[in-house]
Amino acid sequence: MAATETSPELPLFDLRLEAQDLEAVAQTLRSGWLTLGARTAAFEEAFAAQLGARHAVAVSSCTAALHLAYLAAGVGPGDEVIVPSFTFTATAAAVLYCGATPVFAEIVSRERPSLDPEDVARRITPRTKAVCVVHYAGYAAAADRLRELCDAHGIALIEDVAHAPSATLAGRKLGTWGLAGAFSFFSNKILSVGEGGLLCTDSDAVAEFARSHRSHAMTSGTWDRHRGLTDTYDVVGLGYNYRLDEPRAALLLSRLGRLEADIARRRELALRYRELLAEVEGILVPFTDAEVQTSSCYVMPIMLARDGLQSVVSARMRATGIQTSIFYPSIHCFSAYRERFPDVSLPITELASRTELTLPFYPHMTAADQDRVVQSLAEALVT
Amino acid sequence: MNDEIGVASETAPSAWRVPLTDLAMPECDVQAVLDCLRSGWLTMGPRTQAFEQALAGYLGSPHTVAVSSGTAALHLACLAAGIGPGDEVIVPALTFVASANAARYVGAEPVFCDIRGAGDGGGGDDGNGTGDGGGGGDGDGGYDLNIDVADAARRITPRTRAIVAVHLGGYPADVLALRELCDERGLILIEDCAQAIGARVDAAGRQVGTVGELGTFSFFSKKQLCVGEGGMVATADEELAARVRLLRSHALSSSTWDRHRGHDPAYDVVDIGFNYRLDEPRAALGRSRLERLDADIARRRELVRAYRERLADMPGLEFAWDARAVERSSHFFFPILLRDREARDDLRARLKAVGVQTTWYPALHTFTEYRGATPADGLPRASEAADRHCALPLSATMDERALEIVVEEVRAALA
Repeated sequence: MAATETSPELPLFDLRLEAQDLEAVAQTLRSGWLTLGARTAAFEEAFAAQLGARHAVAVSSCTAALHLAYLAAGVGPGDEVIVPSFTFTATAAAVLYCGATPVFAEIVSRERPSLDPEDVARRITPRTKAVCVVHYAGYAAAADRLRELCDAHGIALIEDVAHAPSATLAGRKLGTWGLAGAFSFFSNKILSVGEGGLLCTDSDAVAEFARSHRSHAMTSGTWDRHRGLTDTYDVVGLGYNYRLDEPRAALLLSRLGRLEADIARRRELALRYRELLAEVEGILVPFTDAEVQTSSCYVMPIMLARDGLQSVVSARMRATGIQTSIFYPSIHCFSAYRERFPDVSLPITELASRTELTLPFYPHMTAADQDRVVQSLAEALVT
Repeated sequence: MNDEIGVASETAPSAWRVPLTDLAMPECDVQAVLDCLRSGWLTMGPRTQAFEQALAGYLGSPHTVAVSSGTAALHLACLAAGIGPGDEVIVPALTFVASANAARYVGAEPVFCDIRGAGDGGGGDDGNGTGDGGGGGDGDGGYDLNIDVADAARRITPRTRAIVAVHLGGYPADVLALRELCDERGLILIEDCAQAIGARVDAAGRQVGTVGELGTFSFFSKKQLCVGEGGMVATADEELAARVRLLRSHALSSSTWDRHRGHDPAYDVVDIGFNYRLDEPRAALGRSRLERLDADIARRRELVRAYRERLADMPGLEFAWDARAVERSSHFFFPILLRDREARDDLRARLKAVGVQTTWYPALHTFTEYRGATPADGLPRASEAADRHCALPLSATMDERALEIVVEEVRAALA
């Protein structure tokens, strides 16, 4: 997006669509069929194939995908779901939608801000129904160890893959390690459409549940009726309107063809950032160069070594035209969660939240842009 | 119709000669979306604000909040109204299932009430006495598929918190009488206007959605104003509007757009919210299409008048509502009533065989999910109306040729 009076010169993210994307949307609009139909089915098929999952169910957002995933795992009132606190609020909020309780677990460290399987193991109780692992910034969390742990306890592993389309762990795509994976197509994501999400699963039952409940648990849809397949329908559960629509499916299908190229470019940029940042005093850079190769590199997070500098560094960088963000404030420290769960204490997560800064990152960023960001950061850190 | 815009030829294996609904997408709409996509800013921002302002102007409602669907609008309306576990919400039994589901999303219980139907089936005229209700306020509005105010009144208990008035098919329910009832009994009135944007509740032209504390709207692809998936909450109450805005985006104290423009990157989460956001391309499309909404409604009304004229003398066919209701309706669908379920099903089968698509609305208490929710005294008029009604094709793009096909085929089927 072009810089305006108030928008930063180097924004956190910047989306550029190509002529073929616009054409795909224009064609869909001109067809006059906007509700869930052939284009959504085509996108789901392509996404499932790309992922190597049996089923992909497109929905209205990643929040919706998480809600459906938890419900499909049987999460309900009285149950507990173990989630990280170092994530977006939806990961935990969707547990509350089910009437269940989110139990917050620690991350490994500031260098590896992913869910710690050992801490998860300590928090399992007879009421635990599921664990949700977040692949933070596109880097694989220990989905393999968590899968073993969940299997041993007979509980479901759900993957919040909002950041990590096409990222892998041990050669296997993230989102395919658990019972279900929840993807986001929000406008600042790697594969973005505006608002959108997707649930993937290898389970026929979970897929059927998600398909039914994304559209009010009706036994047939508008598209089926348009095609003359059925004349009426029954309602067989408490469902929602979590549908995607055809223009967004067309945009996603068009952009999906460039996903791998976008990620390859993101990896180059991430490695170059890491090289530049290695020279900056007073910061830690999470994860390793090797992990960049299997990450989808959604954002570029750094941790300020010293506590108490986050807001001043952010403000100083903003003054030089550079936007930064915090991925993420700890969920358990938000007012809404403090009221409900006042006793949660997660020291590593809290320190990570107080010291993290997310730098501008998008595929068409130039080397000069990166140099400018890193220089601004280095100067902002000089006290 | 179909062949002109290419839906049937391109994607539908079985082409209807006349589909139930159809829509035209003029180039100005397409360009509005493409402009937005070119800008690269897709999440809730200036275009959503502009769409909301235009909708507020159109409705004459101080506050409008764009959301992801009509269902989301109902959910947020229930939350903003403070409805929760232990509460009861009165909902007419003849509507789309979302009208009842929303109460359950917040932990409350939907209590079904009957519709007015022919108006002489025990509903009585007591409690329906404003004389200026949309469809059947004075008891002489024709067969009324909307909520029966007297029956709603009978189902109020100490646990009742709200009444959801559905303006079915675009025909205004008697919300003026419901307003009085809710005021007397201290209840919240939520207007479910998913099918009724642009409908008028009185002779002065007051818009549906402005009588209740909250009005909810849908911009689903089949609706008079459509964007694909989308919706809106309208309210005159600033606090309710603020609450809806907060809860539509995870109760975050600042948005992505705010932070892009220089708002501090820190934010708080002050409640348990949802992702019920609309996005910019859909807002751009809605804003562009809103310009033609009144013209589209006028065209729909013209078609309904023509239907009623040309089918007036058919034996075994009855219309819902009366001529005055037709003037106030925004005409989402055009319902007719047959003698009984057998006659209705037979007509639908005959029309399907000749390529004319129809639909009907099952009553909610007949769904597997809601079977247990049928009151002891039943819902005889909603059940009867569900069995007898059938909606014929209707869209603003429908031309004389398509209208005449439907009229001829209905006449042939009933002859």
